[in-house]
Amino acid sequence: MTSNATSAVRRDFRSSLRLEAPCEFSAVRSATLQVREWLAEKGLSEAELGGWELALVEAANNAVKYVPADKRQLPVIIEISAGERDVEARITDHTAGFEWPDEIALPDVESENGRGLFLIKSLTDRVAYLRNPQQNMMILQRARTPAAGGPVPDAGRLQAQLAEAEAALNDMTAELSSSYESLVAMFRYSAELVAQTDVKDFSQRLLRDLMQIAEADGAVLRLLSADGKKLETLLVLPEHGRAVLPPVALAEASPSVEIGAARNRQDIWFDAEEPLEKDDPLLAAMPMGNGICHAFFVANQLVGTATLGRLAADKPFTAAQVNLLHTFIDFLAIQIVNARLLDERTATRVTRRELEIAAGIQRSLLPEKVPVCLPLELSASCRSALQVGGDFYDLIPAGDGAVLLVIADVMGKGVPAALFAAVLRSTLRSMPQLFTRPAELLEAANRTLYADLSRVDMFATAQVVYLDPRGAKMISASAGHCPLLFWQPGQAAASAIGQSGFPLGIESAAKYSQTTTVLPPGAAALLYTDGLSEMRNAAGEMLGEERLLELLARAGAQTADTHAARHFLLGRLADYCGNAPLTDDQTLILIRNTA
Amino acid sequence: MNIQHQGSTAIVTGLQELVAANAAQVRDEIHAALPPPCVNLDLDLSTLSFLDSSGLGTLVSLHKTLRSRNGTVRLIRPAANIRQVLELTRLHHVFEITP
Repeated sequence: MTSNATSAVRRDFRSSLRLEAPCEFSAVRSATLQVREWLAEKGLSEAELGGWELALVEAANNAVKYVPADKRQLPVIIEISAGERDVEARITDHTAGFEWPDEIALPDVESENGRGLFLIKSLTDRVAYLRNPQQNMMILQRARTPAAGGPVPDAGRLQAQLAEAEAALNDMTAELSSSYESLVAMFRYSAELVAQTDVKDFSQRLLRDLMQIAEADGAVLRLLSADGKKLETLLVLPEHGRAVLPPVALAEASPSVEIGAARNRQDIWFDAEEPLEKDDPLLAAMPMGNGICHAFFVANQLVGTATLGRLAADKPFTAAQVNLLHTFIDFLAIQIVNARLLDERTATRVTRRELEIAAGIQRSLLPEKVPVCLPLELSASCRSALQVGGDFYDLIPAGDGAVLLVIADVMGKGVPAALFAAVLRSTLRSMPQLFTRPAELLEAANRTLYADLSRVDMFATAQVVYLDPRGAKMISASAGHCPLLFWQPGQAAASAIGQSGFPLGIESAAKYSQTTTVLPPGAAALLYTDGLSEMRNAAGEMLGEERLLELLARAGAQTADTHAARHFLLGRLADYCGNAPLTDDQTLILIRNTA
Repeated sequence: MNIQHQGSTAIVTGLQELVAANAAQVRDEIHAALPPPCVNLDLDLSTLSFLDSSGLGTLVSLHKTLRSRNGTVRLIRPAANIRQVLELTRLHHVFEITP
């Protein structure tokens, strides 16, 4: 480990690297070069390395650019870990932080700045920005370009197809090198693919560009149906409000030029001398003078057909334009197949059986009895969405009539998240000596769990409250969890109390602060998970903390009974979401001073 | 970095990196070497290995200066990674790029 004024303090592990760079542009730049070298040793491709280098430079530059003068002596910390499937980077800054925008658009072309966040977002799959009074952390993730197959269904097939896709892409790139315009388009598509999951939207733009470059007047794209029996229409361009072309069956003898091209695996040209059959369904969408229909395949399997046409019968496509058609469409075919494989992988990852196991574990974590803590009274419930919740709560008798309340939300799904929830619960329960000091309890739990959590790409938020009936006190601390809400009689709205720190599993030496609040007679406090505040109504509008603060005040004013107040809250929440489906777990604990 | 003049065109060669650490300085040095009869700028990017958003800001700034004199900024032989950054930020429509 070495250190001087401009170089970074470096800690190198097998699968992760941590650099502490002085807060200067040149120092963070050389740190990013070290990261690049390290990632190159992990086998990332040149394109991946370039993407990571730029994303990290942008993130680290922001950390330097916006740091206040009194924090300039603190380092910018870059941590990077490379797994088999993805790479994750964490950049810690000491700026005042900012709200990560919901949408990131490019600035006006005349603007001399404002492109950094756009680049970061474009070059990664996921970005999170965690704010904290002492420091902030930007977490960037991106899947690795699959070279070696992981433990996924039919890994061999997947690997073969990906290899084939890559080889095909290489061929195309070579073929295209003479056509700068096409190359520009391809680069753009490659960049967009990361973020783009909607095949139709992507296909539409690709087809529009192809029409323009190949000077076509119309295009029709059809894809093989899921049962493999017919060709279904994905796109008809230009769109003139024409009815969607009905599917055509592959098995039947058909006048369709598309069926012909698909069956015979060859392009079919049509023009004035060899026009489309009178009853070719394509005519409904494309009254073209001449054109070409191309069927496309991946791994020898039919994917679909693409037809380009021109109004004039005497202006056939040139060989170069036909090459363009092949290149664009074969590129599209690979993307369509890859998107499908990705969907399959995601769908099979969490099987029904897994969901049942996860739900079983989750149920077993909930306390059987509600401890008595008079004059304070507790009422709690946990409602799971789709049986895969990462939520749990715990009510642990803490001696002398006191109770420790825990509410947590594990990020992740299925059995791993449920298992981790079980581990978190036992870890907290195993430290009764810290129950009276929730901040230290969270720090100790985080230290214990950090290594395991960061290895499996999981983290959890938790709110811990020590409830002391003598003096009706709550001592609370939060690890990135929704705030504790507090209401007392006479207030029109409740208020959020306490400060939040990093979620568990994010930062090995995270520090937490605790807040002591007295609950006067009649007062109420609410612990909840974001499934509550982020629930949406039928119009898609989020409930939000503000509304929850009001609801708590209404519930408190409505009834002095703790359970009745919780039911009142649940009733109003149900009214709010109406028929909208439950998309996240909803867990809450209501505390009431019944004196 | 090296700046030469050919008629009304200034030619900049030898740029290694255009990043936050040097973007403002490079911008000011090139601006200083563009006295008014000078209307065009050729930036030889063949030696440029890395470009970040601050560097893009420098390019946009130079473009605006010269456009006000009815001149242009030409980017000459940028490497694939540099070109990709320009395309990702849609600035390839703004500059004349000579392969």
